Amino acid sequence: MKKPRRSMLFIPGSNAAMLSTAFVYRPDSIMFDLEDAVALGEKDSARLLVYHALQLPAYKEIETVVRINPLDTPYGLKDLEAAVRGGAEIIRLPKTDCAADIQKLEREVERIEQECGRELGSTRLMAAIESASGVVNAVAIATASPRMDSIALAGFDYVVDMQTQRGDGSEIFYARCAVLHAARAAKIDAFDVVFSDVNDDEGFLKEVEVAKRLGFNGKSLINPRQIELLHKAYAPTEEEVHKAEQIVNAAKNAEREGLGVVSLNGKMIDPPVVMNAQRILALAGLTFGHA
Amino acid sequence: MNEELNIETLNPREDKRGAAEVNRLLRASGLEMEADIQVFVVARDRKKIVGCAGLADGVVKCVAIAKERRGSSLAVKLMDEVQRLAMKRGQSHLFLYTKPDRAPLFEGCGFHQIVEVPGHACLMENTPVGIRDYCESLRAFRQQGQRIGCVVLNANPFTLGHLDLVRRALRECDWLHVFVVAEDASTIRYADRLDMVRAGLAGMDRLTVHGGSKYLISKATFPSYFIKDSHEVETCGTAIDLLIFRRYIAPALGITHRFVGSEPFCLVTRKYNEDMFEWLESASMEAAPIHVVEIPRLEVEGRAVSASEVRRLLAKDDFAAMTALTPATTLSRLRAIYAFRTLLQAGHRAA
Amino acid sequence: MKITKEAMCGTLESNDLLVKVLPFGGLQVSIYSEVMRQFGARIREVVGETLKQMGVTQGKIVVEDKGALDCAIRARVEAAVLRGAECEDLDWRAL
Repeated sequence: MKKPRRSMLFIPGSNAAMLSTAFVYRPDSIMFDLEDAVALGEKDSARLLVYHALQLPAYKEIETVVRINPLDTPYGLKDLEAAVRGGAEIIRLPKTDCAADIQKLEREVERIEQECGRELGSTRLMAAIESASGVVNAVAIATASPRMDSIALAGFDYVVDMQTQRGDGSEIFYARCAVLHAARAAKIDAFDVVFSDVNDDEGFLKEVEVAKRLGFNGKSLINPRQIELLHKAYAPTEEEVHKAEQIVNAAKNAEREGLGVVSLNGKMIDPPVVMNAQRILALAGLTFGHA
Repeated sequence: MNEELNIETLNPREDKRGAAEVNRLLRASGLEMEADIQVFVVARDRKKIVGCAGLADGVVKCVAIAKERRGSSLAVKLMDEVQRLAMKRGQSHLFLYTKPDRAPLFEGCGFHQIVEVPGHACLMENTPVGIRDYCESLRAFRQQGQRIGCVVLNANPFTLGHLDLVRRALRECDWLHVFVVAEDASTIRYADRLDMVRAGLAGMDRLTVHGGSKYLISKATFPSYFIKDSHEVETCGTAIDLLIFRRYIAPALGITHRFVGSEPFCLVTRKYNEDMFEWLESASMEAAPIHVVEIPRLEVEGRAVSASEVRRLLAKDDFAAMTALTPATTLSRLRAIYAFRTLLQAGHRAA
Repeated sequence: MKITKEAMCGTLESNDLLVKVLPFGGLQVSIYSEVMRQFGARIREVVGETLKQMGVTQGKIVVEDKGALDCAIRARVEAAVLRGAECEDLDWRAL
């Protein structure tokens, strides 16, 4: 059962204090940012901070993502060396426009894994879609490599490319759907945009609701305060949990009795429905602290 | 996270509007804008300036933080940027003057106290090992003796008056340490002044010539000295410099006596000499008192020999008149330095 | 690695440290921390290890610590040394 990934907390890679303590917020994943959050003059030191922070025992318990600079900048490749050697689980590639971007990244990652003796294939990839091209190529991107872990929509740069502004969500509706469909078709996860107004809880929750309904696995966050709000919003209702428990029990019974088909209250339950019920229980377990 | 906070630089000479805004913030903190500031680091919350710190060569001045922002980490962020900016401009060693009650704020920002004039001012620097390492390097030059003397010369240029002062001082002590003011703010460059001093004192026993430092009559310790036509010197102007001498430099070399030439011309220097008696000789401090000995200036043809007179003659290329006031070693160096100018003028006359 | 110019890295914010390096004849390391008694020795150890790994045998290193973890100490010292040595590329095998 895959680990739920509701919250991905962005941490500026240049901030030593945050890097040292971010794990206490217990997000589902932590993203160390070497790109937009880091000034040009500090790219070199942030890279080293992230390299060393990745090796802290506390970060072995949380999923780690590193957003490198694009590979066509003077920084990208060096960032990648630091991230892979440091042990990041996932590399987030900004401004992914086409499958070739991912393939190029994959080649470099493989080279570094070989050089440093890291298990081949252990470094996974996340594509950040930030442009119209990216959206249009989403399917090709999502299937560009067996290392593809997830695909994220980056709202701010995307709307600039689309020559509009962030508003009520209609401006990113198509992008959201395209990214989601590509992710589901490729059987990888999808992450929704950052909500940048850290003081607007109501607006944040409205957006979370939309993302959840559409089916996003989670959302990128820039403030630790948003983590708890997000987790609560993603928590299944009691009714959903109750129903899920029934389904999972029915499936267990069917297995015990060697029946080929799972049924509940006279209705046949397809395997996807059972899997969904398991997912709900896992989420419930996370939220309410059951085993 | 202070996301709306932007740290930027502001040139007060180019950005008049920004300078006015900084001025308002300074006034609100009871401070005045200073003319020698070359650049400000400012913190803007959205558009409004909520913090500022000025840089004037290697001295940090005019640091103010808006009331509502005090106690936050704004001061640290601001001062971190000041250090980064200064380093980019080639100034890694920074000094800072502040009122003693503000010293703790700057201690939290990487500044370390050198000396304090209680109730008035405190001089700080941006390293924990600045004055400490300097004194360590001086200790290597300690000499044996009961009376260890010290003379500080600007020597702009080195004259017979300076030579006379050194000779007379030498008679009264076992060893003499001669320091040359290091600031490059005089007509004649520091490198040349030091060279003239060394040449003028070559072969003399029982003395050491030291290059100057930022800790002894520099823009950091004694800024008034370098302000042209300065008639006023606040108490602190001389106190800081003298306290550093008494607490750090003198103990490192074991100095017991400081010799000064009487000062008939420059008001600032005269005040400095007067204050020396107060700050160096008084018993009220932990650091051992230092005897101050004022030696009357050498006179030639009834007038005290003065370096400014030599400079006046130099401007007129009157090397003949200069021979009465300067040793041959100085003359030859001055000729070499200013030969190019003389040639140029000769060329003009010929044309 | 040889330090050829003055450089610095880091900040004085909580949990960080400021590292300054200067060219110098011998090797001189000065550590300054608000928690000198408890952590002074540990900071010196980590700084020393890092300098050794980078092959720094000459230079004046001044560290002002504000309660940084070992990982931040290593990172800041490495970055300051690289800047001071005017070296763009890190030799990953050395770390």
